[in-house]
Amino acid sequence: MSTLALALRWIHLVASVALVGGAVMLLVAGASDRPTALAWQRRVARAARWLLLVAVVAGVGVLAHQTALLEGRAGAAFEPRALLRVATETQGGLVWLSRLALLALAGFFVSGGLRVVARVDWVALHGETAALAALALALASAAGHAAAVEPGAIRAIAVDFIHLAATGVWAGALPALALLLRAASRESGADARPYAVVAGRRFSRWALVTVIALGLSGVVNATTHIADVAGLIGTTYGRLLLVKLVAFALALIVAARHRRRLLPALSGDAETIGRPAMRRLAASVTTEAVLIAAVLAVVAALGVTPPARHEQAAWPFAFRLATAALERSTEARWQVLVGSQVAVIGLVGLLCVAMLRRQRLRLPLLAGALVLVTMGGALALIPLAVDAYPTTYHRPTVPYTATSIVSGMAVYDEHCAVCHGRSGGGDGPAAPRLPRPPADLRAPHTGDHTAGDLFWWVSHGIARAAMPGFAATLSEEQRWDVINYVRLLGVLETARWMGPTVDPGRAWLVAPDFSYTVAPAPPRSLRDYRGGRHVLLVLYTLPRSRERLAQLADAYQMLTTLGVEIIAVPTDASPDAIKKLGDTPRVLFPVVTDGGLDILSVYRRFDTAPHAEFLIDRRGYLRARWSSRTETARDMNRLLAEIQELNQEKADAPPADEHVH
Amino acid sequence: MRALTAALLVNLFLVVVGAAGGWHLWRRTAAQADARTITWGGPEREWRDVEGVVRAIVPELGIVVLTHADIPGYMPGMTMGFRLAGAKIPPSLSVGDAVRFTVRGSPPLVVVTAIEKP
Repeated sequence: MSTLALALRWIHLVASVALVGGAVMLLVAGASDRPTALAWQRRVARAARWLLLVAVVAGVGVLAHQTALLEGRAGAAFEPRALLRVATETQGGLVWLSRLALLALAGFFVSGGLRVVARVDWVALHGETAALAALALALASAAGHAAAVEPGAIRAIAVDFIHLAATGVWAGALPALALLLRAASRESGADARPYAVVAGRRFSRWALVTVIALGLSGVVNATTHIADVAGLIGTTYGRLLLVKLVAFALALIVAARHRRRLLPALSGDAETIGRPAMRRLAASVTTEAVLIAAVLAVVAALGVTPPARHEQAAWPFAFRLATAALERSTEARWQVLVGSQVAVIGLVGLLCVAMLRRQRLRLPLLAGALVLVTMGGALALIPLAVDAYPTTYHRPTVPYTATSIVSGMAVYDEHCAVCHGRSGGGDGPAAPRLPRPPADLRAPHTGDHTAGDLFWWVSHGIARAAMPGFAATLSEEQRWDVINYVRLLGVLETARWMGPTVDPGRAWLVAPDFSYTVAPAPPRSLRDYRGGRHVLLVLYTLPRSRERLAQLADAYQMLTTLGVEIIAVPTDASPDAIKKLGDTPRVLFPVVTDGGLDILSVYRRFDTAPHAEFLIDRRGYLRARWSSRTETARDMNRLLAEIQELNQEKADAPPADEHVH
Repeated sequence: MRALTAALLVNLFLVVVGAAGGWHLWRRTAAQADARTITWGGPEREWRDVEGVVRAIVPELGIVVLTHADIPGYMPGMTMGFRLAGAKIPPSLSVGDAVRFTVRGSPPLVVVTAIEKP
């Protein structure tokens, strides 16, 4: 069923593209009264009727398949009522319906029933066909992956619209052009040769513009649906795109040969140069069209493959390139510097080879340049190579939240602490008996590894260090929980140095997300403030915090004006927190009555003082910590000054969760 | 029919259909937005049994500040001050009490007509 659906999509796509291009090619070539040209025009017009029929039939087939999928039974594909429901009630169905309607309108123009009195009629006829068919083709963007992009669906649709329209206008014209060239290269078609030469030249210029549009919109499309290199080579979507790019590149190489060699030769002597060149060009354009048909097959497959951005990329290599190693070793820095310079010299050499006229010098220079590029590249890249695993680029499926960290803490204490130690120092009771000391998880080097690396080790162990794998004992969720906890352990040491003053422009400590409730209001989470407000998280203990809370209550309006929300958590996590605060001072900011335990378990790791305050900026980074242990009283004006500092910062750090190590 | 006439008619048709579709879509979006926003003024309405917790009491103004649950069709859960009908605040009410209350009026002019500890 799915192969059939894929075939239907491909046929629909090829027919739609060729329909658009055929009409465009007629317009580009222009009207003519030569018999061979007229015969070609009739042939293209006849083909358009068939293409339109095929596109509509295959399109209805795709819609029927979609209906069967949505209704969950194959029989629905043949029920008119189910078809109608999908076509009118889903966005995808509506788009397909409009596209089929546009094709039907185009059918009116390719039917041959319209009178052509003047040249303007001829242009209107083919122009309207091209426009309607191109609109029908490009509207597919509103029913594809682009429509599901969040946020920015409109932009994604617009870019994909251009991409599809350009495909139709350029690639679709190739078969028609090949037909014309073949007809004109025959002895009997000599009358249309000048017409074909002009058509070929005009199309070549036209193609240059559309291919540039195609390339640019393609790059934007790719970055929309693929997040990174791992997504490109580690997911089905990315790999299909690579196949598409290879086929497209081959088509471009063929096209470049047309421009450089064959097109200029067309105007040569008819018998010896012009006609053979035209024959070759006809064959070559056919090859190009076949390559594009292959590209379209990949496009059809891409349309039903989930975009890489929504997939976990399986990294195929045992290493990856990372600059983290450079930060620690001067030797590695030198090696990369020298290697890259050698490679640059090699590249300059290659450039010289390309521009050199003397044939005799070319080969040795080419060999030398290649050796330099290879050696320099190897020298520079080897220190950058870091061990990698299939899961290296997996994104955590469990977000970095207090609740997850707390679950991870329990799992850690049960399974990991025996070797790694309770606080992650690599000093558990079983550690001395191991062949290699267990990793110190507090050391900053855990930042060199991706969350996916940790996931691999936790799942499959590290054989040479006698670390067991936990894939069989722990669920996937539990493993991510442990990784979230280890992520917290990795930053605790450094976080100890964070003081009450905001370090301008340096946001590095991601604040673990948490959710809380001020009963009976609906639950909220720290994340809800992202991009909106800074949060002052206050962990308080009564009665000693009362004075400070009064200060905050008095300043609450001022703080709100400066873009801060206060979230207060009692260290006893009492559900009666509001009652215990009493009526003086009038505390109106959220006082957590539920969810406080998880917040305390995590944030008290940063500071165990009875009263502690954390300033979290609106991008989700922990920026300042104030503890009753270090200072007994805190000047409110200083807090306001810190907040002002945050407000004047440019938002250059990425939002906190992108920053996964 | 002449091809030019046909092309012009089809384009006209598409423009009309496009405009009608756009108008329809706009109306629908506007209607959805309307459904989300509070209708200010209008007839008097009443919301019963809203859950809340008392955050502050200002007897001299007859106001209680409540953190309350979502009030369907009026506002999401938040902390805000409410005027009590008759400006009489039950003497047993104190900060931190969980309460159920009734709001009545035509937004934004609403008063709490009943407030009780469940």
